[in-house]
Amino acid sequence: MSAAAHTHDHTHDHAHDHHEPGFIGKYVFSTDHKVIGIQYAISGLLFLLFGFFLMLLMRWSIAYPGQPIPGFDIVSRLPVIGGIFNEMIGRWAPGGVVNGELYNMLGAMHGTIMVFLGIVPLGFAGFVNFVMPLQIGTIDMAFPRLNMWSYWLFFISGVGMLASFFLGTGSVQTGWTMYSPLASTTAVAVTNIWMHGHTWWLLSMVFNISASLLGSVNVITTVINLRAKGMSWMRMPFFCWAMFIVAFLLLLAFPPLEVAALLQFSDRVFGSSFFLPTGLMEGGQHLDISGGGSPLLYQHLFWFLAHPEVYVLILPAFAILAEVIPANTRRPLWGYKAMVYGGLTLGFLSFLVWAHHMYLTGMGTMMSTYFQITTVLISVPSVILLTGLMISLYGGSIRFTPQMLFASAFLPMFGIGGLTGLPLAFTFIDLALHDTYYVIGHFHYVVAPGSIFAFFAGVYHWYPKATGRKMNDLLGKLHFWPSLVGMNLVFAPMFIQGMGGFHRRWYDGGKYFEQTSSASNWFTELTSGFFGLFGMEVPNNLLGLNVLMTFGAIILMLGQVPFILNFFLSIKGGEKVTSDNPWNCTTLEWATPTPPPHGNFTFDIVAVRGPYEYSVPGMNQDYFPQWESEPGKAAEPSAVPSAPAAAAHH
Amino acid sequence: MADSPQEIQKAVRKILWIGAILIVFTVITVALSYVELPSHSWNLIVGMIVATFKAALVALVFMHLNHEAKLIYKILAFTTVFALAIFLLIYFTSLDPLEFARF
Amino acid sequence: MDIPYTVTARPDTGLYNAKVGIWLFLASEVMLFGGLFSSYIFLRVGADYPWPVHELNVTLGFINTLVLIGSSVTVLLAWASLKLRRIGAYKLYMLITVLCAATFMVNKTFEYKAKFEHYSVTLTDGTILTGHLPHGYSLEFGDVKTLNLTVAGKTSAVDADPVKYVLPYVKGDVPKFRTEAGEEITLDAASFAKLKAEAHAKAVEKAKAEQLKEVPNWSVKLTAAAPLTFSVPPSKLLAKPAPGATMIAFRDGTSVEGRMINDKMTLEVDGVDLRATPDKEKSLAWNEHYLGSAWKKAFIEQRDHAIAEFNEKYGDGKGGTTRDPNKSATHQKHQFFMHLHSAKPESHGADGAHKAEAHAPAGHGEAHASHHPEVQLERKDVQFFSNFTPKLNSYYAIYFTLTGLHGMHVVAGALVLAYFLVCNGRMLREDPERLANRVEVGGLFWHFVDLVWIFLFPLLYLL
Repeated sequence: MSAAAHTHDHTHDHAHDHHEPGFIGKYVFSTDHKVIGIQYAISGLLFLLFGFFLMLLMRWSIAYPGQPIPGFDIVSRLPVIGGIFNEMIGRWAPGGVVNGELYNMLGAMHGTIMVFLGIVPLGFAGFVNFVMPLQIGTIDMAFPRLNMWSYWLFFISGVGMLASFFLGTGSVQTGWTMYSPLASTTAVAVTNIWMHGHTWWLLSMVFNISASLLGSVNVITTVINLRAKGMSWMRMPFFCWAMFIVAFLLLLAFPPLEVAALLQFSDRVFGSSFFLPTGLMEGGQHLDISGGGSPLLYQHLFWFLAHPEVYVLILPAFAILAEVIPANTRRPLWGYKAMVYGGLTLGFLSFLVWAHHMYLTGMGTMMSTYFQITTVLISVPSVILLTGLMISLYGGSIRFTPQMLFASAFLPMFGIGGLTGLPLAFTFIDLALHDTYYVIGHFHYVVAPGSIFAFFAGVYHWYPKATGRKMNDLLGKLHFWPSLVGMNLVFAPMFIQGMGGFHRRWYDGGKYFEQTSSASNWFTELTSGFFGLFGMEVPNNLLGLNVLMTFGAIILMLGQVPFILNFFLSIKGGEKVTSDNPWNCTTLEWATPTPPPHGNFTFDIVAVRGPYEYSVPGMNQDYFPQWESEPGKAAEPSAVPSAPAAAAHH
Repeated sequence: MADSPQEIQKAVRKILWIGAILIVFTVITVALSYVELPSHSWNLIVGMIVATFKAALVALVFMHLNHEAKLIYKILAFTTVFALAIFLLIYFTSLDPLEFARF
Repeated sequence: MDIPYTVTARPDTGLYNAKVGIWLFLASEVMLFGGLFSSYIFLRVGADYPWPVHELNVTLGFINTLVLIGSSVTVLLAWASLKLRRIGAYKLYMLITVLCAATFMVNKTFEYKAKFEHYSVTLTDGTILTGHLPHGYSLEFGDVKTLNLTVAGKTSAVDADPVKYVLPYVKGDVPKFRTEAGEEITLDAASFAKLKAEAHAKAVEKAKAEQLKEVPNWSVKLTAAAPLTFSVPPSKLLAKPAPGATMIAFRDGTSVEGRMINDKMTLEVDGVDLRATPDKEKSLAWNEHYLGSAWKKAFIEQRDHAIAEFNEKYGDGKGGTTRDPNKSATHQKHQFFMHLHSAKPESHGADGAHKAEAHAPAGHGEAHASHHPEVQLERKDVQFFSNFTPKLNSYYAIYFTLTGLHGMHVVAGALVLAYFLVCNGRMLREDPERLANRVEVGGLFWHFVDLVWIFLFPLLYLL
């Protein structure tokens, strides 16, 4: 490198230092990883709230089919908001009664928004952007400008999804899975196919996928190339490991979904037959298509993404808990190495199990057997991760902060979700339970009281680093308990209904399926009796559980109010932290000033020990930070030997 | 990575050679496709072998995968495994439909 | 406070950031094209029609392959020149690379355009006729007196907008219309907006008076001063009308009643594909109104010739053949796929020539000095038709998807390289090493684009 180049870099540096970005550059089109992380996290939280609102409407329709939504009239008469509400939802619900069409829209958009616009942006993009560069001790992501693009592409996809509600067709109606041939052929007879909710969904997904592609490239490159001196792979906190794995899942699993989206787009807009078999008829008439395609192809491409996606949803939860639990039990993470290898195995296997979602498609016994085997295998690393976290509790002196409450609730909740998934791995059980509420219960236990609880824990945990203030403890507890009760009231009865044969897409909650829904057991009797105490008439069969679940959802909704208040009020009114490391943690993000400035660290940071040195025997304090050579003294960079250069590889 | 001027000049000669080889093999591919082998699958297999050879030249020489950092190989190895998985598993499931005659 | 390892490599990984990034991006691209190639295999294995081989323009594809290989070489030469600080050579090679990309895309445009203008019609007995539509294809629907519009009560997927979706297809001048109130109007955007607002107001009034839960749709009738005749392509209708339909609906939901005057399709036939026809000699194509017996004779000649040739080539000397004629795709094509190069069949024997001329199909073609016979296909005989676009069959669908996506990569790559050439002048002067890194990374992407094409070319054009 020439001397001239150096000089240039230098002058450039100066120019940079003196140039203070304005408000827009600092908070809107920011390239700072922390701002982008917060943007992602807040967008994710808002989308979660919106998706939850859609779910409330669905639950109302399930419990009280044909009855107007309470408050519908009031909302629809409000100025501005009422207009928006009417265009978005109201026009599909004459008199406030959710009809099948609207229910399908709500179902499809609830799934899409929760998975692609809520959990992934919050759990992966939000936390990884904010925390990971701090934890590995670098100043920013490897490609800050791409990072900004990633957020804004995601933003466009979110706006596109929301805007699709306002189109003439309304939003997409074919479930978040968009199974062809139904999704390829429904509602194509419209004035303008480009102004169609389905078209907008597919295009928004393309933006979403591009955003996650940029994000994952950024994360992986940062972890590989920007780790601080001394931060070897096995000194990296499990958080970074898990996010690193998630980034790979996003990088390699999303493109086939993009293919599926593009091909379905072509089917709908250009009239091709990728997913349409020969001789397909609709309404007694042959469609104007050539045929020769295969609906199975869609499912393969879709599930090739969507299975790894499950781990994209759950691994960030493990990542966060691996930080929260040791910090609150004051014990090292149990089985760090086993968890790292378990995570890697999980990531690898997650690519090879997808067709267990497709047992009902007429797959032969050979292939079914293969997919059953890999599916059962993948439960092993999942159990390793969960066990690691659980044993970490053993012998700890647990501080029940709000984040720890959520973390400790996660363990049994995820356990329920995971264990109820095991039977579904086997074809003979899956054939009976497929597409019933049992499956809904299973995966919601994984992602709702699983992932989302972990994300709440993460918000409480890192909030002081981002704002300099702690969130309120009491409000935190008021948030936790109703959430826990509400979640279980919503999802536990689903197992009972599912085993009773309740199909997942009944918009009336099974009211018109008397043979199925008239079954009763002690639990339904109990439910009916309980509501009877309050003078409410609730059927004493499986249908009665719908009411119970709806009330659970309402409790859950009320439970989020303290969180929202807490989140916003604590920015200005929370208890100020007195040190940069308020929870006495060991990882590098707590070495930065609070909140971390642009560039993060005020001194040359190096890592001199493993990430979880809590309660080291013989020490005065119960934690030994990664960056300290002795308690209270940051290690000198010169004390750490440089990593050896990679051997030339010819 | 070749960095000294001599090495770069050597590399340039290599690049030109490989370019010529690629063109020759393109001609071969086209010619072979018009020869009727015992069945069309043979044409496909031979054609794909030639294409893979060409692709390997591009990847190894033009994209200098013949001397790259270990990490890149690791990433590409995993990618290859998953790409093969999506090829083969989808293909296998299409070969193995559920036959009710066997029940 | 700069991000480390943007120019130099990190010692323990041996890589600078952009290089890690581009390889990760390429890994993702591998999965993208992996998914597409996997779809290709799946569709090809499951195809229920003969998979097209050598059906595309091989010459164009071959030229494009050379162009891409050439550009791959020049992008490397550009990088090498930059490393050696031969700035002029660098700029020249980079320019050639970008021009190669442009050539590639121009060729692609020609290829696509030819496909869009070429049609394939499947008749009800499985016979496929390929050719051009000299006048396009429109249904002629006449004797229409009223337009039945439906003004939607809420924002809706189908809502009356006749100015945009109906009037353009009126043959001749658009007459005045009379509303239900008896008012005479010229139908244009302004007058329709007024009409629509009135209709909607009535619907709202009704909803209020009858306490309906939602505003109902309102139908509006417009009577034309003179009977209308429409000439409309079927794609502009909401649903494909049955043969002899007395009602058609436009894409905005406006329906009209009348009489189907002409729904025949005029096709300049340049190929007859009988591979899927059960009885080749009784194919609808040989109907006297269509190609007629002279062409049938030519077809039989070609078929017998192909069989004789096959037997000669692969005869085992004992009356059989070493290859199963039913399994040779090429032989099937030679036998049953006839290309038509003239308006009248050429004949191989003197006798045949005489007869063919005597019974030559009535030559509509001659009027246009066409090189192909022209037939008028009855709607009831047509099962499916499309131009050579994704709609035609899964082969063309995957062809357009793969090459289209690849073309987008070519454009994107060329834009990035052009950006380095045009906009990075300052970096070239001040930090050529960093620019060399950029060119290397851009080059890696460019080679990947080339690499994909190396597979696409044989899979789509040759095999």
